[in-house]
Amino acid sequence: MDITIDRSSGEPIYRQLVHRIQEMIVSGALPEGFRLPPERRLASSLGVNRSTVLTAYRELKARGLVDAHVGRGTAVLRPPPKSSGAAAVPWRQLFRESVMRSHDPILSELLAATERTGVISFSIGLPAPELIPLQTMEELSLDIMRDAGPAAFLHCPTEGLTLLRETLAEWVASRGIRAKTSNMLVVSGSQQGLDLIARVFLDPGDAVVVEEPTYVGALQTFRVAQARLVSVPVDAEGLRTDILASVLEHHRPKLIYTLPTFQNPSGVVMSLERRRSLLELAARWHVPIVEDDPYSELRYENDALPSLKALDDRDQVLYLSTFSKILFPGLRVGYVVVPPAVLRQLVLAKQGADLHTNSFGQYLLERFVREEHLSAHLERLRVAYRRRRDTMAAALARPRAVNLRFAVPDGGFYIWCGIPAGIEQSTLMAHATSRGVSFLPGNACFGADSPENAVRLNFTHCSEEEITVGVERFVEALTETASLRPLHRTDGVATSPVV
Amino acid sequence: MEGFNLRFASRMQDLRASDIREILKVTQSPDVISFAGGLPASELLPAREMAELARELLLNDGVRALQYAPTEGLEVLREVIARRLSDRFGMQRRPDDVLVVTGSQQALDLTGKVFLDEGDVVLCEGPTYLGAINAFRAYQPRFVEIATDDDGMVLSELERRLESVDRVKLIYVVPDFQNPSGRRWSVERRRRLADLAARFGVPVIEDAPYGDLCFDGEPFPPVALFDRAGLVISLGTFSKILSPGMRLGWVTGESSLVRKYVLAKQGADLHTSSLTQLLAARFVLEYDLDAHIARIRDVYHRRCRAMLAALDEHLPQGVRFTRPVGGLFLWVELPEGTDARALLEQCLEENVAFVPGGAFFANGGHENTLRLNFSAMPEERISEGIRRFGRVLAAALEPVEAGSVSRS
Repeated sequence: MDITIDRSSGEPIYRQLVHRIQEMIVSGALPEGFRLPPERRLASSLGVNRSTVLTAYRELKARGLVDAHVGRGTAVLRPPPKSSGAAAVPWRQLFRESVMRSHDPILSELLAATERTGVISFSIGLPAPELIPLQTMEELSLDIMRDAGPAAFLHCPTEGLTLLRETLAEWVASRGIRAKTSNMLVVSGSQQGLDLIARVFLDPGDAVVVEEPTYVGALQTFRVAQARLVSVPVDAEGLRTDILASVLEHHRPKLIYTLPTFQNPSGVVMSLERRRSLLELAARWHVPIVEDDPYSELRYENDALPSLKALDDRDQVLYLSTFSKILFPGLRVGYVVVPPAVLRQLVLAKQGADLHTNSFGQYLLERFVREEHLSAHLERLRVAYRRRRDTMAAALARPRAVNLRFAVPDGGFYIWCGIPAGIEQSTLMAHATSRGVSFLPGNACFGADSPENAVRLNFTHCSEEEITVGVERFVEALTETASLRPLHRTDGVATSPVV
Repeated sequence: MEGFNLRFASRMQDLRASDIREILKVTQSPDVISFAGGLPASELLPAREMAELARELLLNDGVRALQYAPTEGLEVLREVIARRLSDRFGMQRRPDDVLVVTGSQQALDLTGKVFLDEGDVVLCEGPTYLGAINAFRAYQPRFVEIATDDDGMVLSELERRLESVDRVKLIYVVPDFQNPSGRRWSVERRRRLADLAARFGVPVIEDAPYGDLCFDGEPFPPVALFDRAGLVISLGTFSKILSPGMRLGWVTGESSLVRKYVLAKQGADLHTSSLTQLLAARFVLEYDLDAHIARIRDVYHRRCRAMLAALDEHLPQGVRFTRPVGGLFLWVELPEGTDARALLEQCLEENVAFVPGGAFFANGGHENTLRLNFSAMPEERISEGIRRFGRVLAAALEPVEAGSVSRS
């Protein structure tokens, strides 16, 4: 065995040994079964420490190139195939732990199922397709072509199109939020807003307060950020601020994430009193509040409450909203209202994340809002969605063999429906899918184990006829699952976004 | 949040607004001959066609265009991308192996999200793409630069590093007309990179935004073509060939790997704009994208020649530059000790802008280098700009002892 050591190379000697011997094994110069010289002999012939050779042999063994037995020495194993194309890559070691953990197979299975035709989907938070103002959009795209020209397809600032930021600042003023252009950041959907906030604020292991239940996508974002999720339950008046008080003291969280208005998934509106005490508590413990507000325009009855941001006189609320629910989700344009100091950090993070949000979508939205198409459109939505909500509530309220518990929400997208304890949600999902209806299993909406058995049903996407049929199918699936016949789950291909 | 003690994540300390970005804000002025941008020429953008397609889409396919899309991307676009990769580059990818992303910047960010924990090592070229440095830096890795010559990374050094450096998670490369250097890797280096990656079990991120912008015939085979171990993850984009404002790119690789990117993307932005996805797919299906690319390429080629000719004529002795055969950029190395930042300030007084090269090195240094973009300015402006640049440079280099641009 001919080995030369280069002492001037700076590469540790044991690595040089590993490398040379590995080369000889892979090239076939050292055949299978060949015994490497005993450590002591090789060490003295090379003039190196015995421990150096020992380390090298250990490394070769770890690489699966040699095997060592006491008394029989170290023997060459069959060399790996030359192109090592067959060698398994240790992907699990290469991936980040958080990415390995964030996978929820139930969700992708379920959501793949909703892509099938004939399935009535209550699972995803989609607006009604027939209510999208296509005609207006088409006209606006003509105007944009005329006025903006190529700019609509060129880069725009990371902060967002200045014109859109101005328009949005005015728009949120109508919700009682005092904002300047310098407070507004345009993001690629409010999911991105959440993701950027997570990166700007969270180090691995930091605690984040989430509601229980809460928005699935937020859980996913915080998990990828390796945050520690601390859940605080929601009741009919929203986040339990009495529990929050002790949580803040014990966990010292970096953020409080809340959906105070028509909460996803529960549909609950946080009471004014709770809003005030949440702001108070957060101020006392210096914890920024992330207020996610996609649904507040979709109120079907009773008076609106001010958003946390509108009540915020200490600049402690990071406000997220989007046009996905009130206009259409496919454009991926959302916005964030934050103090300038936070905005600067979010912009840095966004530069690395996607440079900027797509320009054409921003032009389209800017026109739509500025030309005041939005209020008429919202009025149409409220009328239609209110009817759909009532249809679903009536269908669910019919006398049933199984016990369903739910409250009719004042607005938003969802009915949160309690089902009998003991019903396995994945089994129910499989039964429902085979009957042609889908829903979001409630346990996906919990940071930890789910304390209640519930499902989330969206009522905005389907027509009233479909809703009636879909609820019947759902109840049949429920009855069937209660009798506990196991059924095979389908495999998922496409990952529909959970919203 | 006055009165509120903002506690940002520790990673934010590594992210700073670049001073260069501030300097370059002045280059927006029409008086400035800017070699600083990275943009395709805006007059070559098929804006009219795109706007027309947008209108048609909203009329005929509006519901699909404005609803949610799967996180992976719309099937029609993934097919278009897979077919294009196969027709143009010989890469056998199924639509299922393609993930549509919000610009290839997002692909870089997701790469960080999937692979990088604090302290992990990224092996990269020196210089390398600034956007990648920024994207990865948010995950707090350690960058180890591998020396690079005109044929690409020096692979003997790469090999040495793979052997001696712990926690190597990724090798990041831009083999075609790299931003900023304009260099193209030789085919031999591409093949050997794939072999090395396989031997050490380290994934390769092959970022290929410029592969189509090749002035001298057919593009070189991508590293992915030599990959038998399933370790190469390829990133591509429509930014340079269709529209940078659409934010549309892709990631392809082994299905199991692409799945990880899908998960990371779900938390990042759910999915990429459906409207822009359909726009790009329709454009490729209804117009001749290759003819469009050929048009862009010819213009860039002419501009590149004009810049090289002007550099040959006006640059003083001792200044080296690359002679790219594709892409958007070339790279200038000034004599050791010259400060390109100081030179930029002098050039701005003459209304000429470029990007100092130090920013393109993950670990800093190399302040005597700079990047010139040749795609965005017409030929006359290029000649004039380089003439001024040469004049400023010559003056700066002449009395080296007294020169205001030399570092003490």
